[in-house]
Amino acid sequence: MIELKHITKWVNSGGNRVFLLRDINLTVNEGEFISIMGPSGSGKSTLLNVIGMLDEFSEGEYNFLGQPVHELKEKHRSQLYKSHIGFVFQAYHLIDELTVYENIETPLLYQNIKSSERQAIVADILDRFNIVGKKDLFPTQLSGGQQQLVGVARAIVAKPKLILADEPTGNLNSKQGEEIMELFRKLNAEDGVIIIQATHSERNAAYGSKIINLLDGRVEK
Amino acid sequence: MIKNYFIIAWRNLSRHKTYSIINIAGLGIGLACAMLILLYVKDEVSFDNFHEKGDNIYRIVTQTKYDGAEHKDSNTGLLQGPRFAKNVPGIQTFVRVQSYTEDIKNGSEIQSQDLLYVDSSFFSVFTFPLLSGNAATCLTEPHSIVLSEDAAKKHFGTKEAVGKVVMIREGDKFVPFKVTAVAKRCPQNSSIKFDVLLPIKESVEDAQNNDNWFNFYLNTFVVLSPGANIQNVEKQMQKFYVQDAGVTFKQMIAKYGGRPDETMGSYHLQPYTDMHMNTELPAQNGLVNASNPIYSYILSGIALFVLLIACINFVNLTVARSVKRAKEIGIRKVVGGDRQQLIFQFLGESFLLCFIAFTLALLLVQLILPVFNDLANKALALSYLFDAKLIAIYLLLLLFTGLLAGFYPALVLSGYKPVETLYSRFNLTGKNYLQKSLVVLQFALASFLIIGTLTIYEQFNFLTKTDLGYDDSNIVVVNADVTHKDAAVFKAELLKNPNIIDVAPKNGGQWRTSAKISNDSSILFSYETIDESYFQTFKIPLVQGRNFSKAFPSDSTNSVLVNEAFVKKAGWKNPIGETVNFFYNNNEIYQVVGVVKDHHYLTLDQKIGPQLFTMKHDNWYGNFNIKIKPGSETESLKYIQKTFRQTLPLSPYSYIFKDDQRISDYESESKWKQIIFFGAVLTIFISCIGLFGLSVLSAEKRTKEIGIRKVLGASVHSVVTTLSKDFVKLVCMALVIAVPLAWLAAKLVILIAIATVSFQAVKAAIANPVKSLRTE
Repeated sequence: MIELKHITKWVNSGGNRVFLLRDINLTVNEGEFISIMGPSGSGKSTLLNVIGMLDEFSEGEYNFLGQPVHELKEKHRSQLYKSHIGFVFQAYHLIDELTVYENIETPLLYQNIKSSERQAIVADILDRFNIVGKKDLFPTQLSGGQQQLVGVARAIVAKPKLILADEPTGNLNSKQGEEIMELFRKLNAEDGVIIIQATHSERNAAYGSKIINLLDGRVEK
Repeated sequence: MIKNYFIIAWRNLSRHKTYSIINIAGLGIGLACAMLILLYVKDEVSFDNFHEKGDNIYRIVTQTKYDGAEHKDSNTGLLQGPRFAKNVPGIQTFVRVQSYTEDIKNGSEIQSQDLLYVDSSFFSVFTFPLLSGNAATCLTEPHSIVLSEDAAKKHFGTKEAVGKVVMIREGDKFVPFKVTAVAKRCPQNSSIKFDVLLPIKESVEDAQNNDNWFNFYLNTFVVLSPGANIQNVEKQMQKFYVQDAGVTFKQMIAKYGGRPDETMGSYHLQPYTDMHMNTELPAQNGLVNASNPIYSYILSGIALFVLLIACINFVNLTVARSVKRAKEIGIRKVVGGDRQQLIFQFLGESFLLCFIAFTLALLLVQLILPVFNDLANKALALSYLFDAKLIAIYLLLLLFTGLLAGFYPALVLSGYKPVETLYSRFNLTGKNYLQKSLVVLQFALASFLIIGTLTIYEQFNFLTKTDLGYDDSNIVVVNADVTHKDAAVFKAELLKNPNIIDVAPKNGGQWRTSAKISNDSSILFSYETIDESYFQTFKIPLVQGRNFSKAFPSDSTNSVLVNEAFVKKAGWKNPIGETVNFFYNNNEIYQVVGVVKDHHYLTLDQKIGPQLFTMKHDNWYGNFNIKIKPGSETESLKYIQKTFRQTLPLSPYSYIFKDDQRISDYESESKWKQIIFFGAVLTIFISCIGLFGLSVLSAEKRTKEIGIRKVLGASVHSVVTTLSKDFVKLVCMALVIAVPLAWLAAKLVILIAIATVSFQAVKAAIANPVKSLRTE
């Protein structure tokens, strides 16, 4: 399903080439739940962004659902991630000017789904996440845990095959964090969504079926 | 989707009030200016085009050559209309329009009334609807009169005035004129605006006297057959003119003397709609509201400036604020929004804002319109706004503003990379050259306008405050056309009152004529009829010789005074005793007895020309300059009025203070000064609120920096300096750019103004003496 071959990424800084990722090889199959671990600056976020096609890489091959991402044009690439990938961020990244309902609805809007259908999908998700009562509140009126719940809801509303979560529990207390992790496990088990998360926490990493350790942009064996 | 855009746009607007208010107020004011000026320009362009025969109506104008230059004149004589219409194929009909003032009796009161003498074809040439009366016959009877609805109401208190009688002075008595029609009020965008029309006076002798080809005092309009070739008609007119008036021209040159290269001149046709904004051949002599296209340009310039500055505010603030919105943009891209959709979103926001500003602008226009009308000398109404073409233009304006303001920010904002914005790697602290140059541009424009205003103020002060060479304080001017005998009676009566210091009668209007000076060459000059009190009343000093005096009874038949310019023009070494020969009046010869100092008898922007003063008995006086004691205004005016009624019962009484009259000569300058001043104030205001918004955003962006500086011990003072330094630098740069540009522009504008004004002056000064003589 996802295949990274010899992925390397560098940036030029003051005449020096700084390597962010070095020779990463990774294969992710249907139904997997992968945790990426490593200290700050080890390349976790960069790797997630490369997988999520938000960031470019300098060398290597990347196949997503059998499509060679490294050969695709920008437009195709965004088409690809739009319909197959959902993102969850440490800082939630909800749009402050929109209500909970509207935040969840946004991805559907961009996929030109009809209004009645949208309503049904969003209502279903609100119900499933138990946040129907909060649908008209603005993000700033919610606790961190609730905001991240909305973040996850938004990530899965368009039924993606893959969720990329960058330290999803980093700003949450342990109880809230646990709830989110449980939610991921459920999504992975029941809906077969592939989850790749970056995390500092051993406990959270343990939810994954596979753990990858990064150090200085390299996979530690 | 669109609903979503509007929701977020609306929430953004209401959440960031300062930003929204700055943008909406700025754009609102800018759009209001643009709307007003569009109204103005549309009115200017549409002037006079409501006549059904509009495209076929032309004015007969002339072009003559003498003194090595071409001279155009929009006036014609009595014969041009009827003779051309009769003899030139292609000319269907004609109408002559002569402006005049007559005394009208209303009850016991006598008023002077500006009116037009016209041919009976007036209503068939022009489209002025009648409320009552017959358009074809209302001007055929000699003692008929046509009133406007306003005049009818004024005289009779009702619009139903047909059949009623108006008394008009003819010589010493009042003669009844029968009202034959009442016309609707003339449209405000008309060069012909009448209250009273009378049938033109033309005796059989006049119509047959070929000299009248050369006696120019009225406007002649002709209607061409549809499809007539203008060049062809002009050629035919010229051919007929040479054939019909050639002999008379030679006789007149022989009799009055001409200039060496003086030609018969040629006749041309000026389209009726061209008069309003033509500065060479303006709407004058009974035609009103002549305008100068330069006003349209200046106004359009100001509107464009204000709107541009408001748009710059929008661009600057939106881009500066984008740091805050970068996160939203990143999220939208991550959850699937592509660039195009984001561009639409931001354009949508700018359109929403423009739309609100547009509504505000409509309200503003409604509020400002009366003031603007007064300043721009217009009678524009809000109903003018509801014109299909204008609405279309306004919608275009809205679209244009929305795009102008929204497009660049939309392009920039939608180009942000999500990874950068979401991971706080985003950096907008770059050089920001665009923002800086836009601020510089804004303030350069604003300073430019301010300097322009200052220049105009200075010019205006110069015009109104400079020493004119005479003292017109405490002088009441009363108009009355009287003989020297009547004038003497009136003056003697006035002087009985101790509040009245002196009385100086003078001819009405500006007379010009020419005469031969000693060495047989002729000279053109202003011809003033006064009495011995004139110079002392106005405190005009004598340079040589003596004033007119009662001690020399022969002064009125033998003596004249001249000004210094006259002496210079004549080239006299010793002017006293020189003679002036009025050759066309049986060689009347006068001796120069005195020379007075030059003074600005015309407006200040006109050169002081030769002036000759006479007391000749045959010349009537037109007004009395009455010097009164300061502080005695009320009593003096009462006494003057009483005396006037007793001694000159047949003349209408009105007075004006001489200095007020002089300042009113500069009324249009004064109004334009105010309009440009408002423009400057608006641009600086909008620029400043924009700068304020930018500094707020910059302070917000730099909170972290400020925090660090304060922790390190920075004082409030130094923080303020740090924050303001950048902007002050920009404003200074704007000044440096604007000052030389404005200086150049001011020079240019003054040059143009001088050229325009002096054109008129020069034209008057070198006018063909034969023509001007015959006019008086």
